[in-house]
Amino acid sequence: MTTGLIQNYIADRMPKGHVQNKRNKSEEHGQPNKPMPYFNIRHELDNKTFIKPLEGKGRLLNENIFNAPAIMVKDAIYDAKSLKHAVAGNANDHELGRINDIGLKLGGLAIAGYLFTKKQTPMTKGMEFIGLASFLASMAIWPKIAIQLPAYLIHGINVQKQYEDSFGRKKSFYQDPQFIPWDLYSDEEIKKMGNRLGVPKDIPNRRDAIQEKMRKIATQNNTLWMLTAGFATPIMSALICNQTEPYLSKYLDKLQNKKADKIISNLDKYSEKYKTNEISKNLEKIIDLYRDKPVNAELKKLLNQTFTNGMDLVTAEGVKADLKMLLDDTTYEIDEKTAKEISKNLREKLSEQNFNKEFIRQIIPDEDKMIQIFKENHFMNQKTAEKDLGTISQKILFVIRNNVLSYNESMPEGKKEDLNYIIKLLANNKEKNHPIKKALKKVSGSIFNSRIIETLKKVASLMDDFRAKTNSLDEYACIKVGAAPETVIANYWTNTQKDLLKIIGISKKDIEKTHFDIGVIGKLVRNKFEKIVSDKKTYLEVMDKIAQKISELDTLIKPSDISASLLRNGGDMPQGGAKTAYESTVDAVFNRFAKAINKTGFKQTAKTVAGVNPNDNVGTLKNLQKAYASDRLLGVKSSFLRLYNTLYFYRRVAEKPNDFEYLQYYTREGKEEIIEFCKQFLIDGHSSDYATKFYMPRNPHPSEDRTPLEVKEGKIVNAYYGKTEELADIAGDKYFYQDIMRTLFETEIDDELSNILDKHLFIKEEFENYRSLILNKIGGEKYFAKPRHMVRPDSHAGSELKFNLTGIAMDEFFYKAAQQTYNTNKWLKMFAGFGAGLLGVTVLTQFFFGKMKYNRETGKKQ
Amino acid sequence: MILPIKNNVNCSIKFSADGSEKEKKVLEYNHDTLLNNNPATNARIGIDKLTNAFTVYPAKGLKGSKNANFYEFLTMGEVPYLIGSATLMAVFNAATKYFAPFARSKAAPLGNKMALGVVFYALGKSISKSFISTPVNLLTGVDTERPYAKVIYELPDDVNDTDIISIEHHKVFESVEFPRWDLLYGDETKGEKRNFRYDKIAKRLGMGHDLKDSDQEVKPRIKEIIIKTSLAKNISSYLWAATGVALAFQKPWENYFNVMTFKFWKGKEFLKSLQSFKKSFVQSAKALYKGEGAGITKHAGKILLGASVLSTIIGVANAVSSSQKPSKIDAADVIKKDDRYVVN
Repeated sequence: MTTGLIQNYIADRMPKGHVQNKRNKSEEHGQPNKPMPYFNIRHELDNKTFIKPLEGKGRLLNENIFNAPAIMVKDAIYDAKSLKHAVAGNANDHELGRINDIGLKLGGLAIAGYLFTKKQTPMTKGMEFIGLASFLASMAIWPKIAIQLPAYLIHGINVQKQYEDSFGRKKSFYQDPQFIPWDLYSDEEIKKMGNRLGVPKDIPNRRDAIQEKMRKIATQNNTLWMLTAGFATPIMSALICNQTEPYLSKYLDKLQNKKADKIISNLDKYSEKYKTNEISKNLEKIIDLYRDKPVNAELKKLLNQTFTNGMDLVTAEGVKADLKMLLDDTTYEIDEKTAKEISKNLREKLSEQNFNKEFIRQIIPDEDKMIQIFKENHFMNQKTAEKDLGTISQKILFVIRNNVLSYNESMPEGKKEDLNYIIKLLANNKEKNHPIKKALKKVSGSIFNSRIIETLKKVASLMDDFRAKTNSLDEYACIKVGAAPETVIANYWTNTQKDLLKIIGISKKDIEKTHFDIGVIGKLVRNKFEKIVSDKKTYLEVMDKIAQKISELDTLIKPSDISASLLRNGGDMPQGGAKTAYESTVDAVFNRFAKAINKTGFKQTAKTVAGVNPNDNVGTLKNLQKAYASDRLLGVKSSFLRLYNTLYFYRRVAEKPNDFEYLQYYTREGKEEIIEFCKQFLIDGHSSDYATKFYMPRNPHPSEDRTPLEVKEGKIVNAYYGKTEELADIAGDKYFYQDIMRTLFETEIDDELSNILDKHLFIKEEFENYRSLILNKIGGEKYFAKPRHMVRPDSHAGSELKFNLTGIAMDEFFYKAAQQTYNTNKWLKMFAGFGAGLLGVTVLTQFFFGKMKYNRETGKKQ
Repeated sequence: MILPIKNNVNCSIKFSADGSEKEKKVLEYNHDTLLNNNPATNARIGIDKLTNAFTVYPAKGLKGSKNANFYEFLTMGEVPYLIGSATLMAVFNAATKYFAPFARSKAAPLGNKMALGVVFYALGKSISKSFISTPVNLLTGVDTERPYAKVIYELPDDVNDTDIISIEHHKVFESVEFPRWDLLYGDETKGEKRNFRYDKIAKRLGMGHDLKDSDQEVKPRIKEIIIKTSLAKNISSYLWAATGVALAFQKPWENYFNVMTFKFWKGKEFLKSLQSFKKSFVQSAKALYKGEGAGITKHAGKILLGASVLSTIIGVANAVSSSQKPSKIDAADVIKKDDRYVVN
């Protein structure tokens, strides 16, 4: 303050000319002069009057939703200035305090940013920033809703009031109870608040008393804030995240789906993203190294690696074969090195058999001898065809033979060596271990020439392009139906699981009671089903809702884009049904590639990628690409269709248990057994149960009783089942398997269900196809232990198809759904409960704040 | 009317009404006292502040005591910091034990990492401040963390209230506008040179020695250093805190969580746990630096670590470099002897 006054004084005392100069300067720049404060120190000093401080310029701030954006901008500007001042080294305390806030947010962003990169999916990535934002928001919101608002409602004062001091620094009005700028409130305002606070009107120094009470309430509230914020902020933040997640998920889901649609409609452009030209680049490096040099094993290995890197094994084999065709012209170079190596190989071969060194030295031609042999036969430094290699080998062996013979001649009887044995030892080897051929084949005669290079360049470019495109197709398939978190199908699955829990009426309490015992959940699910089907109205409602849920998937993944082709009419045919967008795109990309690469001579590759004919229904890469998508969809759809079939069967049992066409010949006990098996199998059956043709301990001598079955509340009232002892699996009874399969999947769809399915035509088609597929594909499965247990002729269906058709077991489905709901719930209950309690206590405490007694004489607190 | 109480006078004011001298509190300090910046003192101050933050200050605050002040409010800021950390850990872990086994096995390491992240955040934030203040102290001689004990004489609650002295622990340079210059002067009664501390700083700053008024010379420089150091601390400490969190999120920690125990009375297990901590720490640090995957994902750890180190280095460099060029104008040209000046 003092320095300010002095400067004022000095400025005023400056020689007139100086001041004039200054003014002129600023006028030249077109800036108006700053008005001098009305306070003139010169005047004051000259008149020797009392020096008064400058009038305060502080003011109370009123923040609300409407001016919040403006204030935010203003604060941001202030922060930026603070930063600038601090860097220059002339910030004040208040500005430095703001920098702490900047640091906090910067640190928060750094954490969120780092974790963002660690997360795999857009959802988890997005939640990192929501987490940070919610944390910062909670820090700001908690004092507002738990402190400021209740205090205002209870006492009528804003305990978080802010003000701006004379220097434009924003501060909390009550932050320092020892220094509260009361003068910012007018008498009127204080009086009004005093009335609301219930401060007696008839006491002296009433303003002081009111201020004291306000200070007290504010101090108490500030303390309460500090004590509660630690609990409240993380919990509030977590709750905000928890509540935001579904919305973010929905939003991202839509976004993802749209993105995927763009990939397929714009594949050429989109695949640029994946175009790394890795193969071409690596090939260039290899070309630089080997241009016009002989093709050796090293080069072959490099090329194999480059062209098959990241490729599936089957296609890689094709590529390798084609590369071999291109590179090998089956001639070999023979030179001094070859001679040396053959000599060495032969000697090693014999020393392994412990022949003495002298003998070996005598019979094996040394390097010079070997070269001589080559030269004599015109092999030296020549390209030699593969068929001639045998001749060289023969020539060498002939020399060795002669050497052995002459050695034996010089030796006494008993020390002679067995010629046949030696020749066999050297000649009877596989090519890989053959001491002569191995060395002869070492250096290929073919040259890495421009013809090979040009072909390879073409192939590399084709492959780079193909790879980029298949990567894009993979991305599309992954977003839509990938077995990964947050794909369209995964999100649909999770949401539907939750909804189905509600639809079939499994409550949170039910879940808690099951204690995550899958057996107990199975029973619970069965009970719920039985309850639903016992009432026609409920049953029809549930079936309608489920059909809606199933058809929802068709709106997310349009059947025209990707479909489980097997479930569609005509889909079972090799060329059946109309192609989906995905299938056509895959066909186009793969066929085009196969055709182009075929032209370069890579015939095997073309065959493994797209087959021989465009519509080959074999295990080509193209068909794999298509099958991945449709199989995933089939698995998911089968699971829901299984649920549908389960409820349908349960309903049939509940309503007309004696009308099952295929069970007419059974006695009451037999029917009871079969129906029990069917019901339980639908709940917890896996594909292995189909495979073993339904193992069930039954009564080998059932009672002859043929009275009709009784049903009560959707359950069979068993007269025999569960009451008989000495049960056994009747392995020879093929009708058991057949009748169950027929009962479950061949019984006609009744009118009740038909009416509902007519509303959902797609589901109808799929449901019918699903049932007949199970009969045809799974019902035609051979099991060696029970060979004649089949409902259809041998289907030769793969285990993957059978697995996909079986779908998830109902107990497992609801087990997983329950688990998810339970976890979220448990957590929510724990922390939402705690949060609510904390809020309650915080608010309640405030009713005890600000209690004071007044002395009516002095107005002071007693 | 409250009269100002002079702090720097060796006086022991007695405010007892009934004269029961026995109950009088033995005063640790009776005037504002400069303390040494060493681990022992800092630990004592830390414990004192922490205890007060959880006991005395909330009690005073909740009663709405007229003696409650800004220092107490700020000190109570420790409470939400600590409770918040604990709550944050609880949010991620408390419900886990009720989950089904598989979900638990997935949730537990994540929850543990979060908890470790909270701890490392706090550690990173507090330890990293010395990354700035220590080099600044070494290079300039200005100890920005130098503590002092401030003696506060409170208003008695009633006539029997004799316990009116409260001690606050501040830092000499905690305010740039009002640094406690007075505490840095030597006590001439003890044979200290009045400006000895300022002399030292002046020498370290290269402003020469045997200055006439070293205090006046160095004060503007000290102010600048305090501001710049504070800036550096505020930015870099949060980046280090973020690095701490990133470190806690590395996979190798999962090995530690498997053997983690805080049961220090179970010697062998606890030792094993400590060893595993050390090992996991090193591996995690490596994992953070190396990163996984490609592109930004691979280098994110390096970038974060680099930003922290860089902010520290730049912060220190900025703090020790002076923006004030020595004035070329002679003081005699500014102050005119004929004029009248107002002096405080």
